[in-house]
Amino acid sequence: MAGQHDDHDHDDHSHGDHSHEGHDHDHFHRIHSEEVDALLMSIADIEISARVKALEELLTQKGLVDPSALDAVVDLYENQIGPKNGARVIARAWADPVYKAWLLADPNAAIADLGFAGAQGENMVALENTADVHNVVVCTLCSCYPWPVLGLPPVWYKSMPYRTRIVRDPRSVLAEFGTVLPDSTEIRVWDSNSEVRYLVVPRRPEGTEGLDEAALAALVSRDSMIGVTEALSPEPA
Amino acid sequence: MLSAADILDILATGATTRIEDPARVPAFAPGDKVVTRTLSPLTHTRLPRYCRGKRGVVVKVHGLYALPDVRAIGDEETREYCYAVRFDMRELWGPQGAATDSLTIDLWDSYLLPAPVEVTP
Repeated sequence: MAGQHDDHDHDDHSHGDHSHEGHDHDHFHRIHSEEVDALLMSIADIEISARVKALEELLTQKGLVDPSALDAVVDLYENQIGPKNGARVIARAWADPVYKAWLLADPNAAIADLGFAGAQGENMVALENTADVHNVVVCTLCSCYPWPVLGLPPVWYKSMPYRTRIVRDPRSVLAEFGTVLPDSTEIRVWDSNSEVRYLVVPRRPEGTEGLDEAALAALVSRDSMIGVTEALSPEPA
Repeated sequence: MLSAADILDILATGATTRIEDPARVPAFAPGDKVVTRTLSPLTHTRLPRYCRGKRGVVVKVHGLYALPDVRAIGDEETREYCYAVRFDMRELWGPQGAATDSLTIDLWDSYLLPAPVEVTP
């Protein structure tokens, strides 16, 4: 049953951040992934970690939560499941046109073929970036995110500034991530508000013709699979 | 109380409210023009304010899913078709929206009406 919720049933955790919105709003005219992550963590850490710790102790004392189960979940998403999974999917799609066609047509099956499946990845859709179309994903209502391929979402993805601004002015927000697109590129923002989870297939960088899948995967960043950046360029030889 | 093994099993398996029911035909198909209703429920909804009363186009039929609006108040049974619906930014934000760009969001049958036929005067 627990796995059957999607994130929206936990709307409260976004609302829990409301206390930060007003007075911190001015700091967020610019969104940059790492800066904002660091800033939000520094603000949120004290209050949130104290609240989490208090909740965890209470639930454990009442016998509602087994601490070893919590440890197992933390270990799963900190050490085992993360964007390296998604990078393998993208690298395979870049290397193998048949796999790419399968990924776009039947993403659940194509992703499961590489061994990735489970909670928050039950209904996947893959969005292909091209020279003409750039896809970017947000969850305006909370923080929905494809866990089996990307792990848990970064703090900025859950932040109100990202969630409110990307739907209104994606071109500026992408530029703040360093992604400056030609004016002619159509930006498609996807608001992930259902049980469907979206994975962006970034464009394969130029100069990667000779690379094997492992080398390709190293160029596929988490952010490029959310769609706020392009894939990394290879180091010049 | 869930054990570590239980929770890892749940996370590995996942769960979805999606069902297959060939007897139920989707009300809309890709390419269909729709308009979103101006619902303002006091309870949960997945129809955000910014896309209420807006004209869009269905781009994908996702399938039959639980309707979050009623599931949030105890109805686990109801299933509706959920569709990816695309809106021009100018439809959402007026003339200051980017003409090149669009927003796509997943919307259920209860949120959608067929777009009225446009009559040119």
